[in-house]
Amino acid sequence: MRQVFTPLKNILSLLLVLFIAIPFIALMLSSVATGWQWPELLPESYSFRAWEYVLFSSSRTWQSIGTSLLIAVIVTVINVLLAVPAANALVRFQFKGKWFAEAILFAPIIIPPFVAVMGIHLTFLRLGLTETILGVVLAHLSPTLPYMVGAVMISYSTLSVDWENQARMLGAGPFVRFYYVVLPHLLPGIAAGASLSILISLSQYLITFIIGSGQVVTLPILLFPFISGGDPAVASAYSLLFAGMAILALLAMDAALKKYYQTKNPSVLKVKGVKR
Amino acid sequence: MWQKSKPYLLLLPATGAIVLLFFGGLFDGMLKSLGYFPAIAERQLHLTAYTELLSSDSFWESLSLTLRVAAISSLLAGIVGGMLAIALFMMNQSAKVKESRLLQRLFQLPLTIPHLVAGYVIVLLFMQSGLFSKFLATVGIIDQITDFPVLVNDPFGWGIILAYTWKEVPFVLLMVYPLLARIRDSWRDVSRVYGAGNLSFIREIALPIMMPSWIIAVFIVFVFTFSAFEIPFLLGVTYPSMLPVYSFQLYMSGTLADRPEALAVNIILALMTIVLGLIAYYFSKRWNVTKGWQ
Repeated sequence: MRQVFTPLKNILSLLLVLFIAIPFIALMLSSVATGWQWPELLPESYSFRAWEYVLFSSSRTWQSIGTSLLIAVIVTVINVLLAVPAANALVRFQFKGKWFAEAILFAPIIIPPFVAVMGIHLTFLRLGLTETILGVVLAHLSPTLPYMVGAVMISYSTLSVDWENQARMLGAGPFVRFYYVVLPHLLPGIAAGASLSILISLSQYLITFIIGSGQVVTLPILLFPFISGGDPAVASAYSLLFAGMAILALLAMDAALKKYYQTKNPSVLKVKGVKR
Repeated sequence: MWQKSKPYLLLLPATGAIVLLFFGGLFDGMLKSLGYFPAIAERQLHLTAYTELLSSDSFWESLSLTLRVAAISSLLAGIVGGMLAIALFMMNQSAKVKESRLLQRLFQLPLTIPHLVAGYVIVLLFMQSGLFSKFLATVGIIDQITDFPVLVNDPFGWGIILAYTWKEVPFVLLMVYPLLARIRDSWRDVSRVYGAGNLSFIREIALPIMMPSWIIAVFIVFVFTFSAFEIPFLLGVTYPSMLPVYSFQLYMSGTLADRPEALAVNIILALMTIVLGLIAYYFSKRWNVTKGWQ
């Protein structure tokens, strides 16, 4: 078999270089290049001018990262509060009009949310919600909430009611049951939903632009003028920072979840291990 | 009574938020596309915006560009993503599970990259003085910058197609790979007993298993590309522009008279995505894509 898989591995490695490595190398080289003239495959000289500008001389970078993260976190917290009861109802109850509720909740995945945001823009203007963080948060809810509901639904579908009944028999009230039985089981789903919610919120440009009207400066709003025809070195540095922020947010979420299981609930990890 | 109304109460906050913010916005936009602007004392509903839109060339050119770009990029992402899934699966079979899992994660990276960054990567690589052009010049295939084809900000939309293909290949991989991963090793042994080589194993077993969810994945990529804004805004030309960009241009043009038209573009876009979404939903239920084969 070996002779079949060696060429396969070569093809995969080639694809990996083409698809993943070259784009990142291009961004990195371009961010430290000075005067990268056309037929030269590598820049003539290097400097950290662009990075210095992005990280130190422009205070707007850190402000915009702060604004981006603040919006993403508020959006995600609201999403958790809305999605957990909704997922509970959709997974554990049979009732009339269930398909309709699902259709409403998942519609923003298919119908582009900017359509709704452009439609509601003038109403937001009248209510004084444009140019405010609150307005942008409200606008970010519909593109993110469906993913949170979907993720929590998956967790609920593997949680048997027996566990809660057992806790009830042992005398646990509804809040104790939720906190000690339901919540630990839902956490991986909530974390997955939160990762998606944060990622989607962080990368919104159009919605933030319409509602924030240029006054709520998130990282994508700050970055856009640079990548549409500004200084390529600064644009590349900002792009790397932007991509890095998204990836870091995901890794942090992953690490937090792992830590939670190690410190608070070592048994869950074991159960998970047995299943696999 | 409580037991009966409980699921509705649990659903109320989430559906309320979506109804108010999302469907409220759609409805608000639809009213305004029909010329209902109480702020400037316009309360008469009429279809002027729609008739004007449907009789303008720029709308139809926009629509055909949108369909073309969405079709080509979803097919390309589907083909590359499908082949990648099979390649990773075959590698997984050769018992290098760890390596293949690492590769799989690396290939998933573009999914986490924001659209604007993906667009800029395509600019860096494919513009006429971009990295690929520099590479071709260094190895002596082209002599001048102008020998490299215009792939960014081109009227056909190649830049947008490249960006979306890059971004959505991992999505297709994510949708089809889990199905392939459920093929048991023993099946491969059985197929070998009956004399099936690698190619016929792929053709007879792997392809039929991944087909339904592959089609749905390609379809979803199509709908996503259809309603994309950031990448065509960055990589397209001003005329013709893809529908979302076209709507944005009309909306931001400054005159209030263009706004109903912009919102009319949005409503048409929303209706098309609803129809496409319903088709995808129907077939994914029918083929049991989410649960997979038993």
